[in-house]
Amino acid sequence: MQDYDIVIGLEVHSELKTNSKVFCSCKNQFGQEPNTNCCPVCVGLPGALPVLNKKAVELVIKAGLTMDCEINDIAVFERKNYFYPDLAKAYQISQLVKPICVGGHIDLENKTVRLNRIHLEEDAGKLVHSTAAIGTLIDYNRGGVPLMELVTEPDISSADEAVEFLTKLRQRLIYAGVAECKMEQGGMRCDVNISVKKRGSLELGERTEMKNLNSFKSVYRAINYEANRQIEVLKNGGKIVQETRKWDDNHNRSISMRKKETSSDYRYFPDPDMLAVEIPREDVEALRKTLPLMPEELKARYISEYGLSEYESEILTRENHLSDYFNKTISFYNNPKEVYNWILTEILSRIESSENISISPENLAKLLKLVENKEVTRTNAKEMLSRIMENGEEIEALIKEYGGGVDETALKALVENIVTSNPKAVEDYKTSDTPEKVFRWFTGQVMKETKGKANASKAEEFIRELLNK
Amino acid sequence: MKIDELSLIELAEKISKQELTSFEVTKFYIDKCNEHSDLFALLEIFEDSLDRAKEMDEKIKAGFKGKLAGVPVVIKDNILYKGKKASCSSKFLENYVAQYNSTVVQKMLDEGAVIFARANMDEFAMGSSTENSAFGVTKNALDPTRVPGGSSGGSACAVGAGLTPVALGTDTGGSIRQPSSYNGVVGIKPTYGRVSRYGVVAFASSIEQVGPITKNVKDNAYMLEVLAGNSIHDETSLKEEVPNYLSYIKGDISKLRVGVLKEIDEAVKGLEVEKSYKNAIKFLKENGAEIVVTSIPSFNLTLPCYYIIAPAEATSNLGRFDGVKYSRRSKDAKDVDEIYFKSRSEGFGKEVKRRIMLGNFVLSSGYFDAYYNKAKKLQQKLIEEGKKAFATCDVIVLPTTAGEAFKIGAKDGDPVSMYKEDLFTIMANILGVPAISIPFGKGPNGLPLGLQIVADRLNEGTIYNVADFIESKGGEYARL
Amino acid sequence: MNKTTITTDEVKRLAGLSALEFTEEELEAFVPEFERIVELVDEVKNCDIGNSELKYTTHKLCGCREDEAKESLPQEEILLNSPKTKKGSFCVPKMLD
Repeated sequence: MQDYDIVIGLEVHSELKTNSKVFCSCKNQFGQEPNTNCCPVCVGLPGALPVLNKKAVELVIKAGLTMDCEINDIAVFERKNYFYPDLAKAYQISQLVKPICVGGHIDLENKTVRLNRIHLEEDAGKLVHSTAAIGTLIDYNRGGVPLMELVTEPDISSADEAVEFLTKLRQRLIYAGVAECKMEQGGMRCDVNISVKKRGSLELGERTEMKNLNSFKSVYRAINYEANRQIEVLKNGGKIVQETRKWDDNHNRSISMRKKETSSDYRYFPDPDMLAVEIPREDVEALRKTLPLMPEELKARYISEYGLSEYESEILTRENHLSDYFNKTISFYNNPKEVYNWILTEILSRIESSENISISPENLAKLLKLVENKEVTRTNAKEMLSRIMENGEEIEALIKEYGGGVDETALKALVENIVTSNPKAVEDYKTSDTPEKVFRWFTGQVMKETKGKANASKAEEFIRELLNK
Repeated sequence: MKIDELSLIELAEKISKQELTSFEVTKFYIDKCNEHSDLFALLEIFEDSLDRAKEMDEKIKAGFKGKLAGVPVVIKDNILYKGKKASCSSKFLENYVAQYNSTVVQKMLDEGAVIFARANMDEFAMGSSTENSAFGVTKNALDPTRVPGGSSGGSACAVGAGLTPVALGTDTGGSIRQPSSYNGVVGIKPTYGRVSRYGVVAFASSIEQVGPITKNVKDNAYMLEVLAGNSIHDETSLKEEVPNYLSYIKGDISKLRVGVLKEIDEAVKGLEVEKSYKNAIKFLKENGAEIVVTSIPSFNLTLPCYYIIAPAEATSNLGRFDGVKYSRRSKDAKDVDEIYFKSRSEGFGKEVKRRIMLGNFVLSSGYFDAYYNKAKKLQQKLIEEGKKAFATCDVIVLPTTAGEAFKIGAKDGDPVSMYKEDLFTIMANILGVPAISIPFGKGPNGLPLGLQIVADRLNEGTIYNVADFIESKGGEYARL
Repeated sequence: MNKTTITTDEVKRLAGLSALEFTEEELEAFVPEFERIVELVDEVKNCDIGNSELKYTTHKLCGCREDEAKESLPQEEILLNSPKTKKGSFCVPKMLD
């Protein structure tokens, strides 16, 4: 492999986070009964016309802004014509000559990957290939779901870089609220263009394309397989044929697909049912103002302002839901390090996704304040957290149970009782070289008697008062 | 009083005042349609029409008010009316039942119309004689050996033969105006976007419009007001307020500047229409209009320009007829490719196939710039030329067709000569401006000829004023 | 004026793009007829319109449809005209994956 350079370009499709579809008002919603989120537009009924969703355009603009793209003044929608059963109109509305975004880049650890463009298009329906007796079933619920397609320049040179790029892209889209990128639902799919050339050679090799890879793992494996395959072909004096290959994840190999020559002439032309969209500068600037900090920016802030480590910041910013949660919690309880520790040790172990953390930031903050004020012990606070997150119990009830549950008079009486019934220990306290040890024994007794419910600092105050008499 | 002697406006008024019932009027027209079924203007009379008429009578009694309350209307077979067939006169859609209402149908229903039949047409609106219908040829209302024109031949014939007070047509390159001319009736192609195309089966989206075909100009103005207006389902429909078009009809053209095109002077020489066209200009001049000689220098390129843009859009618009989702699927198809190829080959007629092929030719790689892109730029140039021309005049007059309706079969096997039928009408589609055809003059066989009045965008009101003036005062000349 | 010649192969290519079948007989009649039509549109190809940018009819972003989801049609309405349905879906012979 060392004798060859690998040249990779990616085309990444992400379904946008909108309520309605891109060209009609049907719901943009996954997992419904087939053909129930459909209207005349989705199924391509005669006479139906597309009506552009403003939000879809805005989301693509936002995506572009997070990657320093240029936003075109005018975006034009075009028809890409071909016959396929998942394409109801026999054309896909897409963009060719005037996409919403051009240029831009994403910076990786060691290089910059330039973007060619980001455009808006519609997703196709879903085909379910059943038995020969039943046939192939077509569900147009996904037809018309807004899709942004991002095209990179061929700046990527390894599977690792490709995955790093996709990870960063996915993070940005999620952070900016553009897409949810649910890979398992096909919410983010990637086409890989790959070629190899002799190291240092200026001449590009023939490229092959693998379409619709829907996990980072597939992308990684597909690139490594295909690069090796191409290198082997060249080493053996063969030639690479420009073609589309299908990635077979189960057998870890790519397979050549027979393609008809006519299928590549898409006959793009501006959709005469649609108007081009004028995007005024002030709209772009207004959208820019709505963008949250991107993960890199947040990370930098965590390190410089909150004193977290690189590693800690990395963990918190991997998912926007988690950093959102962290940010909210510290807005109620300003102790970033402590909040981080609790999230890492107590919360992350209890959740599958950071999207739904079953204790609110307010309540986590409340709990940590109780610990700080010693109104509950750390151990009890952990128990409380567990009961909130796992049993869905109310924090207020738990506070009554664990802390502030013993009133001051009762506590004072209890302390007096313990001190008077342990004269030996009182003696030890007064004579011992390590009186604090004995003092802690007394506190332990109080906590044991109260099952940890006593306010620890109050208890300590009373004990010290009596012992020092 | 005979029902079919009443104008649309009179009819609407009498039904509203309950001097006539919708039921008797609708029944009258249905009976008349049945009597004249040999014209083959209509593909189907909707069987529940009389129920709808009765229902409207009840509503009118209960106080319902609507511009078309109880008035029977015929629609062209490419306009969707929920629950009714819409076949575009194609075998492909022979049994297609509309799943939703087009905007124009909805607007008419809201105004109380009784839509009682669908009219024959050239398949997918491609043609100028209605001979391209998969279901049979419509006859000219005035001479059954001749064509009614097309593609809205069924609609124009129905109005011409008095089978309905009003019919809707669609006009992509002259498909309302040319048949209106051939059947001696009034038809307008409104400004592009004035009427929503939602629910109208698309042929060439960027240039076509729905419009009314009526017996006279005032009825036409009255009807357009119902049809026009923005639709949330159609980005290309215009948001401008719809005016009361009748209010533009003033019976006076004394300050009017009427443009005549140099290019037309050349083009009409020796045609049947030459005399009546000259007479129209003479009449307008005599009645105080100022005649302005103006020019659209690229006029002669409108026809070839159209035969690039329209087929390009059509080829893409008709892709959805693939045998997968609705209507015809070839019985012989064993796999998906065969579903496409066989269903389409069996389902489409010759002319439709020709245009699909032509569309793919002008869009396909290697030809796109030389044809499609060039045609779009040419269209842009023509629009500029149109603007300049309209800066010098209020309307432009020109003939609708070269002559009278031709004999059925006369242009068989000669598509290019058929295409040239639209020589005078295509300009308005390419420019996106409104144009009306009104009967004016007679040909050598005593059959009607048409005069077109074209105005700048959204100036339908001006057109109606001029058209009404000619219709009501130009009788002397119009009979010549 | 350069005349565009249309070959049978070219027509076959277009038929492929059009998803249309022509028998050899039909092709024979179609090619010369198509050539005459192309001759008509060649007037555009051969005309001089100078250098101009194509302009687009536009609307402002703020005028576009708001992102509000509305009710869809019932499944049975959607499938109403379908030549073949199964399990609430449109159905075609099994395709190779």
